[in-house]
Amino acid sequence: MVVLFSFNAQKSLTVFKGFSLRWYEAFFHDNVLLGSLGMSLEVSLVAMAGSVVLGVALALGLVRNKGRLGTYAGLIMMVPLITPEIVTGVASLLLFKGLGITLNTGTVMIAEITFSISYVTVILRSRVAALNPEVEEAAMDLGATRWQALRLVTLPALLPAILASAVLIFALVFDDFVLAYFTTGVDPQPLAVRIYSAIRFGVEPTINAVGTLMLAGSITLIGLALAIPRLFGRRGGLDLISGE
Amino acid sequence: MTPTAATPAVSADTTDDTVPAVRLDHVSKEFNGSHAVRDLDLEIAPGEFFSLLGPSGCGKTTTLRMIGGFADPTEGAVLLSGEDVTALPPNRRNVNTVFQSYALFDHLSVADNIAFGLKRKGVPKPEIGERVGAMIDLVQLGGMAERKPRTLSGGQRQRVALARALVNRPAVLLLDEPLAALDLKLRRQMQVELKQIQREVGITFVFVTHDQDEALTMSDRVAVMNGGRVEQCGTPEDVYERPESRFVAAFMGTSNLVSGVYRDGAVQLEGGPALPVGPRPGVGEGSVVDLSIRPEKIWLSDFEPGMPVVNGVIRETVYSGPTTTYLIELAPGVTVAALEQNTARARMEDRWEGGETVELGYDPDHCLVLGH
Ligand SMILES: Nc1ncnc2c1ncn2[C@@H]1O[C@H](COP(=O)(O)OP(=O)(O)OP(=O)(O)O)[C@@H](O)[C@H]1O
Ligand SMILES: [Mg+2]
Repeated sequence: MVVLFSFNAQKSLTVFKGFSLRWYEAFFHDNVLLGSLGMSLEVSLVAMAGSVVLGVALALGLVRNKGRLGTYAGLIMMVPLITPEIVTGVASLLLFKGLGITLNTGTVMIAEITFSISYVTVILRSRVAALNPEVEEAAMDLGATRWQALRLVTLPALLPAILASAVLIFALVFDDFVLAYFTTGVDPQPLAVRIYSAIRFGVEPTINAVGTLMLAGSITLIGLALAIPRLFGRRGGLDLISGE
Repeated sequence: MTPTAATPAVSADTTDDTVPAVRLDHVSKEFNGSHAVRDLDLEIAPGEFFSLLGPSGCGKTTTLRMIGGFADPTEGAVLLSGEDVTALPPNRRNVNTVFQSYALFDHLSVADNIAFGLKRKGVPKPEIGERVGAMIDLVQLGGMAERKPRTLSGGQRQRVALARALVNRPAVLLLDEPLAALDLKLRRQMQVELKQIQREVGITFVFVTHDQDEALTMSDRVAVMNGGRVEQCGTPEDVYERPESRFVAAFMGTSNLVSGVYRDGAVQLEGGPALPVGPRPGVGEGSVVDLSIRPEKIWLSDFEPGMPVVNGVIRETVYSGPTTTYLIELAPGVTVAALEQNTARARMEDRWEGGETVELGYDPDHCLVLGH
């Protein structure tokens, strides 16, 4: 319905009066919505970069630290995945308020990163565990330092999984409403939040157009995430469900 | 380390023959309180093909990892060409390793795999290309330089692993069961090739295997390990012909073990003959001993003068192509195996059948007498 009526020539949301791109045009002239789009892109990119860097580091640390600390840290990592998002959202809000931090783009980023790290870690962890430890040793045997071995051998081996999780995180954060709703400031607001407020004052066909664009974007990204391991032509690609 | 176009693909850095290429000075390694390697004392000469041989879990890999720098000895010191490297990380030791899993870099081509070590050392680009090319020829991987490791067969991957290590011209090359993953035929072929390559490049090889045939055919010297210790170290002939312990005798091919009482320079079997073995200092009169002798050291005809000869009854005849094995009962419940070559002169009709009584001769020097 949303998709169909986004192409409606008339303002009506019940009668289809012929094909038109006028609502898409309207969207691209709406500065508030464009500002929200910009913010959402910014938040998604930063959250993607931040959570991938931290998540990969964490996954490496967890797999190589087989002690009790590693086990506990591994369990803690699962918590954000099983907590309802609204709980995470409210908790973040209370934390920011408690610390006296004004809600703005930065707080959304921090909240989204915190939330996304778990996904990256869970996806990467099994890939790291499947690596042959002798390969990194071979690099050091051939004169690489520990850091060079990581950079030249381990990270390239993990690259498909890293890219796939990056795309996934981008899509998740971009579409996220709940967490963003609780942690955003007043202006600008992330696109999802803006759409929600707009709907409360009656549905504009412009919103249909935005919704359609977001849907198309998400489908493309998820498809990309699934296709990446295949693009690398590797067996043992990434299964997003089992992470194996 | 100043190679010119005229130098061979690889050459050892150290040519000083007086300083051992590798020296393990009373090295021990404990994991959670249990010893994986115990008080190992070894010297390996430059250019030597040295094998560590032993059953699974005897500490071969652990020993190799301590030489390579991947494991820290709990006690003792590791010296390479006289220099104490115990505290140095792997990238600062002049050794390279061929890992059992090959541990190739899957995202790099064959040529880039081989070039990895040279790039780390900052060798100039044209020289890298030259040395990698020479190495690819040496291990017969021509035409595969741009392939990814995953598209290669097991034998080809093994060669890449070897080339990747050798191209750095290390003083010592460590090889952890490099042929274990290959099928028997390819394995035999690679044994010959590996030995040829080692002769060609003159690098010290420390070769881990649990296959005694492999160790015997390839090595200059073999250390037979058991339970984290070296039981015996010597040339293949030493450890095979003159085993110093029950373990070595049993591990190096089949060996007969018969129990008896040592008295007057002979081992008296219960309810059977006494087997003269000559004077054995260190073996107490009247003590219970095991006598060990290899099946191919037992003669069934054409005895030499002065050789001890005893009687036995053929219990079974096992024909296996080039050889025939007889199971011969010397005393009730005491059976030994004797191996005869089916040479051109040996006629099939002359083979003994079950139930026949035969004479066995042997040289006491081939007997090992082990106290209990
Ligand atoms: N990282 C480790 N932690 C704990 N124990 C270890 C470790 N590595 C080796 N061991 C133990 O040390 C002993 C020797 O192991 P090692 O790998 O050296 O044997 P190996 O001779 O190479 O055997 P294989 O022929 O099976 O490869 C074994 O009992 C093994 O369980
Ligand atoms: Mg081993």
